[in-house]
Parts: sequence; C-alpha cells; structure tokens
Amino acid sequence: MTLFNLAKKNMKGNISNYFVYFVSLIFSMVIYYTFVSLQYNEKIQDSIALSDTMSFLFLASSFLLILFVAIFILYSNTFFTRKRKKEIGLYSILGLRKKTIARMLFYENLIMGLLALFIGIIIGTLLSKLFAMMLIRLMGSTAAIDFDISILAIIQTIVVFLIIILMTSIQGYRLIYRYKLIELFQADKQGEIAPKTSLPLAIIGVVLLAVGYWLIVRPFPDELDGAYLVKNFGTALVAIVIGTLLFFQSVMVYLLKLTKKNKSRYYRGTKLIETSQILYRIRGNARTFTIIALLSAATISFFGATYSGYYGNEKNAEVMVPFSYSHLSKGESFDDEVLKIIEADENHPIIAKLKIPVIESNGKLSFPLDYEINPIKIIPEKALNKALIGLNRDEEGVSLSGNQVAVIKPRLTEYSEADIIGGDINVELPASHSKLTITTLLEGSILPFDYPDFFIVVSDEMFTEFAKVKDTLIYNVYEVADEIHAEETAEEVNALIDRDFQVNSSFYIEYKEGKEGNAITLFIFGFLGLVFLAATGSIIYFKQLTEATESKGNYEILRKIGVSKKDIRKSIKKQTFIVFGLPLLVGIIHSSVLLIFISNFISSLIGASIMIPILTAMAAFVVIYAGYYVMTVNTYDKIVNK
Amino acid sequence: MKKIVDAKQIKKVFGSKGNVFTAIDGIDLTVQEGEFVGIMGPSGAGKSTLLNMLATIDEPTSGEIIIDGTSITNMNEENLSAFRRNKLGFIFQDYNLLDTLTVKENIVLPLALAKVSANELEKRVHEVADKFGIASILEKYPYQVSGGQKQRTAASRAIISKPSLILADEPTGALDSKSATDLLESLKALSEQDKATILMVTHDAFAASYCQRVLFIKDGKLFTELVRGKETRKDYFNKVLDVLSALGGGAHDII
Repeated sequence: MTLFNLAKKNMKGNISNYFVYFVSLIFSMVIYYTFVSLQYNEKIQDSIALSDTMSFLFLASSFLLILFVAIFILYSNTFFTRKRKKEIGLYSILGLRKKTIARMLFYENLIMGLLALFIGIIIGTLLSKLFAMMLIRLMGSTAAIDFDISILAIIQTIVVFLIIILMTSIQGYRLIYRYKLIELFQADKQGEIAPKTSLPLAIIGVVLLAVGYWLIVRPFPDELDGAYLVKNFGTALVAIVIGTLLFFQSVMVYLLKLTKKNKSRYYRGTKLIETSQILYRIRGNARTFTIIALLSAATISFFGATYSGYYGNEKNAEVMVPFSYSHLSKGESFDDEVLKIIEADENHPIIAKLKIPVIESNGKLSFPLDYEINPIKIIPEKALNKALIGLNRDEEGVSLSGNQVAVIKPRLTEYSEADIIGGDINVELPASHSKLTITTLLEGSILPFDYPDFFIVVSDEMFTEFAKVKDTLIYNVYEVADEIHAEETAEEVNALIDRDFQVNSSFYIEYKEGKEGNAITLFIFGFLGLVFLAATGSIIYFKQLTEATESKGNYEILRKIGVSKKDIRKSIKKQTFIVFGLPLLVGIIHSSVLLIFISNFISSLIGASIMIPILTAMAAFVVIYAGYYVMTVNTYDKIVNK
Repeated sequence: MKKIVDAKQIKKVFGSKGNVFTAIDGIDLTVQEGEFVGIMGPSGAGKSTLLNMLATIDEPTSGEIIIDGTSITNMNEENLSAFRRNKLGFIFQDYNLLDTLTVKENIVLPLALAKVSANELEKRVHEVADKFGIASILEKYPYQVSGGQKQRTAASRAIISKPSLILADEPTGALDSKSATDLLESLKALSEQDKATILMVTHDAFAASYCQRVLFIKDGKLFTELVRGKETRKDYFNKVLDVLSALGGGAHDII
C-alpha cells in the first residue's frame, strides 16, 4: 500500500474526525472566494475606480480576511491534530519513520485542501451571485447580475490557500518532530492547575477598563489635532485591550471565587461543579475570550455605525440638499434651460419654485465661536419663510425687525441657543444697523451645504438696504413631487449645472451617491462581521468540544454518583451559556461605549435614528451566537451524556 | 437483621444473535446490613459486570435486584440517578475524583446534590475527614495529594451521605501497601463500628482477607463462598489463597 493510499484510507475511515476540520476549510474558502469574486464584480469595480477610500477599504478588508482565514484554519488544524496525536504515536511505534509520517500528513492535507478548494469555489460562485444581488439591492439599483466565474478570483483564491495549506503542513511537521513519542500518547493527560486570585491585578483590570471608557467618551478639547487623537485613542485602545484580558484573567476569577464564599448557595445542586469548571478553564480561555470580545466590539460598532449611515442616508441627503434642485442663477437663458428640463418631467411635477437672494459679506462675532463664519450668507426673512413652506417643514417662519437676526445652525455642528442667542454680529457693510443682535436660532438650512455654512436671516427692509451696497446672488430652487425617484431628470440637471456647492445640486444625486457609498461600506462591514462571527463562534465551538472530550471522565463520575442526565445537560447549558455570553456581553458593553462616542458626531447628521440600526446590529450578533450556543450544547451533551 | 442486597437469578448476556457471551449466569446474592463482603475471581469472571449491575450503572438481562427494599430493575434514568445519590456510595480503583474541585468539595458533592443545608454539610465533612485522617488536606486539589489520600477522599465521598450500600471496585488497586492497609483498616472499622454495608470487588487476596465473607466467581457463576468467622486474618488470607489456586487461571493474579 502506498503512502498516498494510506492517507486516503485514513480519511475515509475517520470521517467524523476530519469532518469538522474539512468543514472549516470549506467555510474559509467559500468566504474568501466570495469576497474576492465580489471584488472583481463590474459594479463594484466601478465604484472602486471612483473612490480612493473604497479601494482602500477593499484592500484592507481582503488583507484582514486572509489574516483571519489563516488564523482560523491554523486554529482548526491545531484542534484537529491534537485529536490525532495518539494516532501519530502509533505509527511511530509501528516503525514508520518521522519523515514518512510527515509526508503522509502532507498528502492528507493536500487532498483535503484541494477537495475543499474545489467545493469552496463552487459554493462560493453561487454565494457571490447571492451577495452581489444583495449588494445591488442595498445600493438601490435594479441591474441584473450575471453568473460570471472570475478567473482572477479563482487564481487568487488558489494561491492564498496553497500557502495556507503549506502552513498547516508545517504545523503538522512540527507536531511530529517536536514531541517525544511518550508525549504523543499522553496528549490528553496534562493536568491543569487551579487559578490563583490576584486582587491587585483584578483592580488594575477594572481601573484600566474605566480609564479606557472615559478616554473614549470624554468630549473633545477645544484645540483638536492629530496628535491628541493618536494619544487619546491609542491609550484608550491599549487600556481596553489589557483591561479586557485582565478582566477575564483576574476579575472573573475573583468574582467567581467570591461566589464560593456564599456557602449555602455554592453547596447546592450542581452549582459547585459549574463554578469550579468555569473557574478552572477561564485562565486558559482568557486570551480567546479577550480576542472574541474585542472582535465583537469592533464588528458591532463598525457595523452599527455604517448601518446608521446607510439607514440615515435619506435624511442626511435631505439635510445636505434641502430642495430637489438648486442652482445659482446664471442668466435668463441658462435658468430657462434648467426650468424646461424640470418641467418636462411629468412624473415629478414642481411643488414649489423659488428665487432665494443671498448676500455674502464678511463680519465679526462679538463672542467666541469655533466655527469659520466668513463669508456670512445673508437671506431675507420673506425668502426663508417661503422656502419653509415650499419644503413643507413644520418649523414656523421668522418675523424680525430692527437689528434682529436669526442664525441658521451650521450643519454638522451642535451649537445650542445658549451658545449663540444674545450675541452680536458686526457685518462689514455700511447700513443703518451694522451691529446685529441674534434673537433666534433656526434648525435646518434651505440651500445645499457649502462650507462655511453660516447663514443669517434679516428683516426684508434691512436686506434691501444691504442690497444697495452689495451684489445679490440669486439661487433658483425647485421642489418636485417624489424627488427620491427623479433619476433621469436629476442626471440631466446635474449635467447642466456646474458644481455650485460642495455637495450636489440635486437631491436625488446626493441621495444616490450616499446610498451607493454607504451600501458598499455596509456590505463590506456586514460581510466581515459575518465572517468574524462565524469564525469566533466556531472557535468557541471547537474549544467547548475539546473541553467536552477532556471532561468526559468527570461527567461519567458525576453520573455514577447520581447526577441524572437531565441535570448534566442543565449544567452543560449553564456553562456553555457563560462561555458564549460572557465575551459577547463584554463585546456589547465595549461597543456601546464606542457607539456613544461615534453617535456624538453621527447623530447630528442623521437625527435620533441611530438607536434602531445599532440595536439591529446587536440583535443580529446575539441571534447568530444563540445558534452556535444551541449547536454547542447539543454536541457537548452528545459527547458526555451518551 | 436487614437484607441490604437481595439479587435473585441475575443474568447478563452481551452481544446479539449468533455471537452471544454470557457474563453473569444466574447468580444469587444477599448481603446483610453491616456486612463487609468481598467478591473475587479471575479476570473476565464477571466481577465488574456484577458490581456495575448492583451499582445500577448496568442492567441485568434477567433476574431481579433489590437494594434496601427497593427493586432497581425497572427504574427509569431519573429515578436511578436519585437512587444512586441517596442509597449508594462508590469507591473506584482510579479514585474518580473531579480534578476541578478541592478535596472538600469532592467529598461534599453528594450532599450538595441532595441539597443538604450548608451547616449540616460542614459538620459532616469534618466528621468524615477526621475518620479518614484527611482533615489537613481539605482545601487542596486532587493533583496536590498522594494516591492514598485521594482514595481516602473517594471513600469519604462514598460514605458522607450515609448510603445503604458502599460499593468498592478494586479500591486498593493503585495504592502502595501502606496506603492500602490504611484504607482497608478504615473500611473495616466502618463496617464494624458504623454498621456500614460494604461490597468490595478485588483481585488482591490481602484486601479480601479484611472481609467477613468472600464470594468467588468463575465464568459468570458463583464458584464458592468463604466465611471468615473467628479466624485470624492471616489464616483467612491463606484460605483465600487456597481457593484462588483452586479456581485456577487466577494464580498470576495473586498479589
């Protein structure tokens, strides 16, 4: 029998052992291939070509994915080879040379790898179509996706996986060469040592977490620069990483030991067994728990943030570009041309049509405000009030007299009335009242965003006075029915109008660009999140199964001294719940803190809606973990309770 | 005197059609309260199978087993667990201690499972630990104590819930002779002073010589029975050896 045949026979005879590893291999390849082939999708290629951020995002994601897949496969391989130490020892005893065993392992790895690669690419092709459809829908487009098998994607996948298979083979070699024969036979017998408590370390852990949280949520200082950001958040990151590790290593151990103090609760039923089992394993699991907690925190908060962006896109577009179309008047013929295009669209009739006069002038504030105000944009009160009606806003109009002015809160800022009302503005224009007093703070601008976004509203009389000494810019604005679907007209108008503002002139284009950009980011984070989730879930699953196999004897003892199978199952449920729940809980707490920070500048963009997307992201996480939990409990139960 | 074990015509057959092996072939067995009974026999005679059935871990193919007045042959898993918890105590060759628990926690486990109050539990653990001389190691973990101490821990666990029957499966098998003697003395004292009923399976004629009565099994059947009566332990030991050599095939098993 040749070595190759032996390898093949091994795999046939031990399917159950190989199965879990094989499935993880396929899973990794499917994920990787799907992602890479999406990257070569035409639609996505277009948006990558357009935006540097997007191509960076894709590059970073695929790198992250390789890293992750590699770690995941190596981990599953360790789990898998540990199970086989005895088998390898047996080959040695039967007189097979180390070199020969190593070659056999390599063949096995190769066969499994190639098989997984083949299956992975087939499943991946199907999945990539599904994911591409999802992405296209997210982007709000209806384009059909063809079944295209990307040769480039296949080659890239093959190369990455050959490297990974090589790495796993090296791992196998190390197993064979590093261990002595006797050790291979005693693989499962290494005793663990009960953890010791260290109160100082536990306190340090709690303090580090608190400091990390505080650094993240504290408000920015007035002087904000890059060095501050790096220092502040770098420190926060380090504090939280170490804090989390210490939390699992010491704080948890300390808390668990504390529960032992309550004798009448501790010595009741199976509580004693669960507590000590968890206590015993927590040290060994601390690093895994930390990684999982941090990964879940990152995924939940990034996904939550991007989902908020996606979710709030329409609102954001509405804030950035209030009217359906806005442009600077550039002579009658030009204005007419624009009007004609808009009027020609029967599906989207004009609801409101306005001319908004604006005077730009420099000025000074009598109070400090960390916002660039010059040039100040001045609008008359009549135009504002009409615009509010045209936009169908709930806000009441303003009525100003004398030297009173209203300030429209600059977008992307969070000034309150207390910051602004009562202050004076000195406009550098010769007029009867050049010193204006702010009496009102308005929410919501009426013209598209253009930095600096500092609009003031004055009485019509004063505006006429200003108009005498300074040129007036006229903006033509139109609001149309069902603006969110006015695709063709918007594109035509957009082609005609120069960029008058930093954002688009038409609402639809702003909305669409935002939606597409957000959709791709959301998709990438969603995809990565899913992979992280699946991988962390599987890692816990593997860990628990290893543990189940190791503690089989313990459960047998328990059954002999009279613990029923039902009680054992209950006890397994409790332990598994903690193993899954604890890192998830820590992850959710971490991400909540991060999201408080993120929402500080996101919620001003999209309003209060951030809660819904974030809760959705967290709920998705919990649901998928719950699935893993059920699966783990069942397998664990089968191993120890059959 | 009360009958603790009353097994009638128990039979255990392994395998199915065509390939049947009878491990236990119609054995009757009674043990009275306070008796210390040994079961001996060559390898493969069916000692462990018999003990497992008495321990309710295994079911007989036919026959009936009554322990402390309760028939265990037709109980469901749930009731059996409760039965094991309340009526039986176990001592195994490889101690079967949970390495994640301290010595004390291992000992109190049966009481914790029976939800005995913490005060009562503390009281009993000290009583038992004193009896077996392990009071000083209560807070240690199993990997920190010697084999003899481990076995005494296991014995403490077996008796702490004051079971009707203590089952010992080769309890001295992994102990050095000093530890083995200590343990056997303790078991003997337990049966004589506390009226504990002990059934011990052993290979070791020396261990068996501590019993009041030894049953010999061969090929699944009761071969003979040896009652100690008023003999000295040494004489009894020699008698056990005689029977063992008569049993044949067991010669290599002797010490």
